[in-house]
Amino acid sequence: MLRTSKEAILGFTRAKAMSFFAILATAFSLLVLGLFSLALLNLNALIRYLENKVEIMAYLRDNADPGLVGLALEDLSKLEGVHQVRYMSKQKALENFRADLGPDSDLLQDLETNPVPASFNITMKPGYRDTLHVKRIADEAQALTFVEEVDYGREWLRWIDIFKHVVSVVGATAGALLGLVGIILISSAIKIAVFSRQKEIFVMKIVGATNSFIRRSFLLEGFLKGAIGGLLAAGMIYTVSEIFSYKIRPVVAFSDRYYLYILLAGALMGLVGSWISLGRYLRRI
Amino acid sequence: MIEFHNVSAGYSRNSRVLEGISFHIDKSEFVFLTGPSGSGKSTLLKLIFHELIPQTGEVTVADFSSNKIKRRKIPYLRRKLGIVFQDFALLENRTAAENVAFALEVTNASRSFIRMRVARVFTQLGLAGKEKCFPQELSAGEQQRVAIARALVGEPFILIADEPTGNLDPAISMDILRLMIEINTLGTAVLLATHDYSLLKGKDDFRRLHLSAGRLVYDGSNGNFAPVPED
Ligand SMILES: Nc1ncnc2c1ncn2[C@@H]1O[C@H](COP(=O)(O)OP(=O)(O)OP(=O)(O)O)[C@@H](O)[C@H]1O
Ligand SMILES: [Mg+2]
Repeated sequence: MLRTSKEAILGFTRAKAMSFFAILATAFSLLVLGLFSLALLNLNALIRYLENKVEIMAYLRDNADPGLVGLALEDLSKLEGVHQVRYMSKQKALENFRADLGPDSDLLQDLETNPVPASFNITMKPGYRDTLHVKRIADEAQALTFVEEVDYGREWLRWIDIFKHVVSVVGATAGALLGLVGIILISSAIKIAVFSRQKEIFVMKIVGATNSFIRRSFLLEGFLKGAIGGLLAAGMIYTVSEIFSYKIRPVVAFSDRYYLYILLAGALMGLVGSWISLGRYLRRI
Repeated sequence: MIEFHNVSAGYSRNSRVLEGISFHIDKSEFVFLTGPSGSGKSTLLKLIFHELIPQTGEVTVADFSSNKIKRRKIPYLRRKLGIVFQDFALLENRTAAENVAFALEVTNASRSFIRMRVARVFTQLGLAGKEKCFPQELSAGEQQRVAIARALVGEPFILIADEPTGNLDPAISMDILRLMIEINTLGTAVLLATHDYSLLKGKDDFRRLHLSAGRLVYDGSNGNFAPVPED
């Protein structure tokens, strides 16, 4: 193992230009992929943030039978996708309304009757905060005789739906494309690196190096190069993410674990790339 | 030690470069392998170090037979051989000593053993003092000596040289030949392939294999055989 590492490090430090290209290719691919997933992460966070605002308001008639209301609340809570149904009494609704109005709440001082209706405020579980599911619950609520009106921000929800769709389609396509470009870039870089060291492989063979010895030293080298590429990419992504979170807020940043993953991804790419491009040379006796 | 038994070989199924080759090289023999360009000298050497496997017949090297050897055993066969090429095949990014040590490093020999062997072979080949030089800093003759040192450091039973003087001027070529004969007198067999017939001058009593168009047309040492220099 020690011997192999010496080979790898020698080959590494002395085949500078080719190492540099392979490292750069790895770093670049990971950087683009990393930034891309960072953008995706933020878009998804934005979607979640918007979805959290999704709420169905079912306004109750003033003469609603409290017994029936209680039963309906239980029934609604049990429907698929419903997270929580909160009952908001007329009194509480009025207080909220006052609080919303702030200094203008004096206007409501002289009211003899409370004009604000009681309501069910229904929130949905994550994954059910789309038009299809929300509308189903809204319709259920509307069907109750003591429900006057249901409001769930139909337009708002429709925009979220479209936005989600666009993000997922564009994300998947671009992600696949970027991944492909990365793989091509890295494998050609490694191919060139191995090609440039054909003579070394040849010499290893004539002096009686086993294929596993040759493979080990190249794999270790690929691993190191890939890890360095990953480190570079992680550093650049960190910088970009810092700059953005400083200028625009809120930004979801990668956790430390993600940076470790980028590093490992680089190392893995180097390892696999070397393995593949070496295979061809080693198969010829 | 090396035996060819009715060997035919080529680079593809339907092409034959060598046909019906049979000979035997003993321990400590010195053998010239001659023949015009394209006659199959390099191909014959490749059969010895098993870069090429015969299409028919059998090549035996020490205890290894081309008909039985497993592919992953081939490196161990090569460790019993010392191989030298016309272009030296030295690694430019390593010093002379590192190039030589390289041959033992791949065998997992210990560091101190490698150091001892490298020092010894450098002295033997008159390379002392050149250990830290990179190949570009050495003359062509010195580079070939380093290549020979690398071939010998593992103490092979035979030194196989393919046109070792092809890149050297006549005087240096004679030096290298003298060196190889000296190595041979110390007990290592030598098989030297060349089409430079001037090397053979005055070597009438040396054994010589001569190839012509892929056939072994002469095997002997009586000096009577004088092929027309075709090239
Ligand atoms: N790798 C190869 N693939 C296909 N054909 C080859 C290969 N190497 C050699 N040949 C062919 O095999 C024949 C013998 O070549 P070889 O190299 O053995 O000759 P040689 O006697 O060593 O010649 P030279 O003195 O020029 O080195 C030639 O016709 C050559 O074209
Ligand atoms: Mg040749």
